[in-house]
Amino acid sequence: MKSWFMLALSAAVTLAVPVVVHDGYIIQLLNIAILNAIVVLGLNFVTGWAGQINFGQAAFYGLGAYTTAIATKAGLPWIAAPFLSVIVVVVASLMLGLPTMRLRTYYLAMTTIGFGEIVRLMIVHWEPVTGGTSGLRAIPGVSVFGFGPQGQMQHYYLLIATLGLAILIASRIRHSVLGRAMIATRDSEIAAEQSGVDTTRTKLLAFMIGAVYAGLAGCLYASSIRFISPDSFSGTQAILLMTMLIVGGMGSIAGCVVGAVALTILPEALRFLGQWYLVLYGLGVIAVIVMAPGGLASLASLAQLRRANAG
Amino acid sequence: MGQLVVNGLALGSIYALVALGLLLIFNTVQIVNFAQGQLLMLGAFIGISCAVTHELPVATAWAITMVAMALVGIVFMVLVYFPLRGRPAFLVILTTIAMGIVLENLALIVWGPLPVSLPSPVRGPPFRFAGVVVSMHQIFIFATLAVILLLQFFFLTKTRFGILMQATAQDLHTARLVGIPVNRTIAVAFAFGTVLSGIAGLLVAPIFLAEPTMGGSLGLKGFVVSVIGGFGNLPGAVIGGLFLGLIETFGARYISSNFRDAYAFIVMIAVLVAWPRGLFGEKSSEKV
Repeated sequence: MKSWFMLALSAAVTLAVPVVVHDGYIIQLLNIAILNAIVVLGLNFVTGWAGQINFGQAAFYGLGAYTTAIATKAGLPWIAAPFLSVIVVVVASLMLGLPTMRLRTYYLAMTTIGFGEIVRLMIVHWEPVTGGTSGLRAIPGVSVFGFGPQGQMQHYYLLIATLGLAILIASRIRHSVLGRAMIATRDSEIAAEQSGVDTTRTKLLAFMIGAVYAGLAGCLYASSIRFISPDSFSGTQAILLMTMLIVGGMGSIAGCVVGAVALTILPEALRFLGQWYLVLYGLGVIAVIVMAPGGLASLASLAQLRRANAG
Repeated sequence: MGQLVVNGLALGSIYALVALGLLLIFNTVQIVNFAQGQLLMLGAFIGISCAVTHELPVATAWAITMVAMALVGIVFMVLVYFPLRGRPAFLVILTTIAMGIVLENLALIVWGPLPVSLPSPVRGPPFRFAGVVVSMHQIFIFATLAVILLLQFFFLTKTRFGILMQATAQDLHTARLVGIPVNRTIAVAFAFGTVLSGIAGLLVAPIFLAEPTMGGSLGLKGFVVSVIGGFGNLPGAVIGGLFLGLIETFGARYISSNFRDAYAFIVMIAVLVAWPRGLFGEKSSEKV
């Protein structure tokens, strides 16, 4: 009962935000936060549930964004863009995942970092198509048969709806055979194999679903923010996405959303700190990993447990 | 052609040094330090503070840097390694990355974003041989790598402390049971590994300029070398480093200099797919 109430309350608050807040800058920031939340939800499949480290998520985000930007700027109808973005990221995730999903920890970390770097270099140096370091501007907006959101507020509702769908699908997958297989793979690969789980296939599927989330978020990023540059999808961004997951709480859907929103807004709110923000950001990440390895989500459930014990 | 070989080997020697620093720590505590590149940057800037800002002789600057880096290594161990002992490797990777971010931004605050140059400890006219120019600094790099390689080899296999280190690496609990001062051994590994990355920083700064953001790509090259050569494998780290230096230099000359940083990763992924234990095998295997 209580969780339903919390859910309804948070839904009401999210829907009311643009009505109360009229600052375009804040809504734009929230839009980016929602997109990041979708990407982090995708990362959660691979890292939170299947237990595989992945620093390539920002590259999938970027592939989705650039595919959409290039396709719609070339005059293709917008409706084709999400499909194209998904095809590109699925092909890319198969190319990276098929040979590397058997690797572990450091090796997987290195190959995914390498993949991200290769994608970034391609974006930066394929200038005639990608605009190089200066990025692409004036990307056509979302439009389905002539209908599309106007202004940041309508985009906000579109993105919130997409995030809701992403959360719904993630929670459905979590309790499906595939979701359980992912968790089993994370907890013990040997035990999972013994119980008949094809761990390599499970990891690959988690990796692909994660990439599709990132690709679709990238597609929406390009057509709602309308400007993209390689910086938004760099290795630094990949680390930031991973941090959002850890700080929010690996494996927790609510944690993913909270982590992504918090770490998107925090740097803007703490802008007065300048360079010191990044120092504190690094130290904060270490503090969370050392003191609360389950992230904010684990702190919340711990508090709940305490209350239950006291009452 | 000959010139490319010399330049490639000089660059590769620096990569090998970074990999040797990683290897010392990896061989003792099975941790890959993703902040190694930022430690290298720190070494370069401590050297610059001594030699350029305070105008000390370059040799003194080197000595101060090495002592400072040993201390940094121990602080690093206390802050990053001890709290995470026995935790999943994944969290250790993230903690060291976070530490790298902290170091990089502290360096930006202290030294500013502008690139600075550090003089080489050796001076003199370059050697010319059949049209190939070898600078004194390049010779110094080769010599340093050779000396460190020999020292490290003898230290690990012939001295008592090196053998204690290897025992700690094989099984921390048994090592402690038979009376090996495990914490002291690990501290020495961290101090040495960090000094090695500091030396790599001092060697890089005279060729490329030093800037606070230089660490990221150099650190990653060190890991690529470790992967190619097999983690924890001493000859593998050196041969892998030289090999990567050659590939980058030739790739930049004959294919495209834009993708210079991508060759390392392409080679690494190819090696991992073909030989998942690295070209020369790995000491302990837990990757597949």
